Amino acid sequence: MNLIVNGVEREIESAPLTTLLDVLREELDVTSPKAGCEQGGCGACTVLVDGEPQRACLTAVGVVDGAEITTAEGLGTPDDLSPIQQAFTHHYAAQCGFCTAGMMLAAEAYVRRGGTDDREAIQEALAGHVCRCTGYVKIIDAVAAVARGDSFDLTVTAPSQGMTNLGGVS
Amino acid sequence: MKAVGARLPRYDGIEHVTGRTTYVDDVRVPGTLWVKALRSPMHSATFSGLDTTKAEAMPGVHAVLTWEDVPLLEYGHLSALGIPADEPLLAKDEVRYKGQPIALVAAEDEDTAAAAVDTIGIEFDEREPLLDVRRAFDADAPTIHPWGNWYPHFENEMDRRQIRKGSIEEAFEKADAIVQGVYRPAAIEHVPLETQVCLAVPEANGRLTIYSCTQALYFSLGVVAAHLQVPLNKLKIVGGTVGGGFGGKVDTATETMCSLLAQKSGRPVKWRWTREEEFLCSSTRAPWHMEIADAVSKDGWILGRKMLTLHDSGAYARFSPYGLTKHSFHHTGAYTIPNLHFDGYVVFTNRVPTTAMRGFGVTSISFATETHVSRIANVLGLDPYEIRLKNANRVGDTSPNRIVYTDPSTVPVVKALAGGMGVELAAEYSAMDRGKREGDLLPAHLVEQLADPEDH
Repeated sequence: MNLIVNGVEREIESAPLTTLLDVLREELDVTSPKAGCEQGGCGACTVLVDGEPQRACLTAVGVVDGAEITTAEGLGTPDDLSPIQQAFTHHYAAQCGFCTAGMMLAAEAYVRRGGTDDREAIQEALAGHVCRCTGYVKIIDAVAAVARGDSFDLTVTAPSQGMTNLGGVS
Repeated sequence: MKAVGARLPRYDGIEHVTGRTTYVDDVRVPGTLWVKALRSPMHSATFSGLDTTKAEAMPGVHAVLTWEDVPLLEYGHLSALGIPADEPLLAKDEVRYKGQPIALVAAEDEDTAAAAVDTIGIEFDEREPLLDVRRAFDADAPTIHPWGNWYPHFENEMDRRQIRKGSIEEAFEKADAIVQGVYRPAAIEHVPLETQVCLAVPEANGRLTIYSCTQALYFSLGVVAAHLQVPLNKLKIVGGTVGGGFGGKVDTATETMCSLLAQKSGRPVKWRWTREEEFLCSSTRAPWHMEIADAVSKDGWILGRKMLTLHDSGAYARFSPYGLTKHSFHHTGAYTIPNLHFDGYVVFTNRVPTTAMRGFGVTSISFATETHVSRIANVLGLDPYEIRLKNANRVGDTSPNRIVYTDPSTVPVVKALAGGMGVELAAEYSAMDRGKREGDLLPAHLVEQLADPEDH
C-alpha cells in the first residue's frame, strides 16, 4: 500500500486494518493528528483524505490505499502559513492546541468548498470537533475571517466577537 | 509595560497551527513499552490472591508492577501543606473506588499489555459502598476510610473547617425572614482532549527522564521522588506542554507508576489512558452538598448566614481539604454578610477521588450563593439586581476570614450584567460604585465588620 502524505509518496508496511491514525503517528511519525478518544467522538484525529475531512481513528488504512492525505503539517510552514493557519494565529483560536489540527482541517475543507462566513454554517461544519479551552467563539471568528478573505497581521491577535465590553463601568 | 493592554501573539501559536507542538504522546524514543492497568471493577472490596506469574511469563511482557514494588507506598499529594498520606500508589489488599489501579503491565505493544492484564489472578470480596455524602454520618453507614467517613486532620486536629464571625444568634433574632436552600452541583469530568499520559525513560547515567502532561511539575517531581525514595537529582521531569488540564492534571496520575516500570524493565515506558479510563478513573470536580439558611430583613439586607457544606472527596483526601478551605473563605460569594456560622466537612465516599478544577472549591459556592440571592429576592418580592448591589462587597468590607476588600468587583459586574440584559436600574443603584460604604449603605449591622483597606 502507499499514501501520498502532504504531497510526498510513502510506502505503508502496517497491516490493512491498522487505523490511519496509527499509521500516520506510529509508522510515519506524522504526529499532528491526535488520539483524543479513538472512537470518532472528538475530532482531534481529523485529516483530509482526497480533500474530504475524515476521522483517522476510524479509518482502516487499507480502505484509503493510494489516497492523498493532508495533515496540519501539510497546510503550511512557520515561514509560509496558509490562510487558515494565519487566521487561527491572529484570532487566538488555539489555546492548548490539541484539537487545533483537526479543527483546522475541517475548516480548510469548509472554505475549499465555498463556505461563507455565516456563523451557523461554520458551526455545522465544525460539529463533532470538541475544544475544551477556547469556547469556540474565537475558532468560529477565525474560520469566518478566512471565508470572508480577510488578511491577517500576525504580530497581534484580534479581539473576539463574543467578548462583552466591561470597560467604562466602575 | 509594553505588554499591558497589547494583543500579543501567543508564544506557542505558530507551533500549534503548524502541528509542530510536541505533546507527551508525540515524543519518540525507540524501544518504548506500552502500559495497561488492572483496575478495580468494584466501588469497594477487599481482595486476596493477587497472582501476576502468568502475566510475567507472557512473551513481550517486560515488567509487572504491584504494591510490593513501591518503595514508599503511601504519600500525600499535599504533604507540603501538612495533609497526611492516605492513598496507596497501587492497591494492597482493598479497593475503595471503581477504577482504582491494582497492577500494571509494561509490554512491547498495547495489545500484549492488555492480554497480560487479563491473565492476572485476583479474588474480590465486595463490600457495601458509600456513594452519597448525606449518608456518611448515619449510624448504619459503612465506615469506608481508616480515618472515619470525614477528614479529621484540619488544624488542631479539627474534623471540619469552621468559620464563626459576628453573632449568628443575633442575626436570626432580628430577621424578618429566614430563607433556606439546598444546592447540590454534580461531579464534573474535566475531559481534556489529551488524556492522562506519561513517558518515563531510563538514562545511561542512572537518572530517569519523565515526560509529563502534569499541570504541577514540581508537585509531581516531589511525589515521584517520595514514592521512589530517590533524591530529586535522580529525576529530570519535562513538562509544560499540556493538552488541556483544567485542574485534572494537578494529580500525579501516571508519572510514578511509569517511573517504577521504567526502572524495573530498563526500557522507556509510556502509559496513555484511553478516553474510557479518563472518564471512569481520572479524578473529577467534587460533587457538593450545601445547605444555606440566611437571616434577611424585609428591605433586602442579608444579616447572617448559617451554612453546612459536605465536600465529596471520593475515596482519598488528595487536595480536598485545601479545596474546602478555599470554599469556606468564599462562602458568602460576592456579598458581605456580617454574621456567619459555617461548618464544612471533607467527606469520603467510594467514588473516584476528586480534585481541583477551575476555581477549586469556589464555583460551587458561587452557584449556591447566586441562586440563593435570587431566591431571597423572590421571597421578599425585591429586584434581583438591586438586592445584589445593596449587599455587594465594597471597599473596606471584610470577607468571611476577615480579609479586607480593596477592589471588589461585584458592583461593576452586576451593573454590566443589568446593562447587558437591558434592565433599567433605579437612580440610586445606577449611581453606585465599589467605594466605601456610607449613608444608607452603611446600616448599623455592617459597621463592626468594616476594616481599613490600608491594612490589606
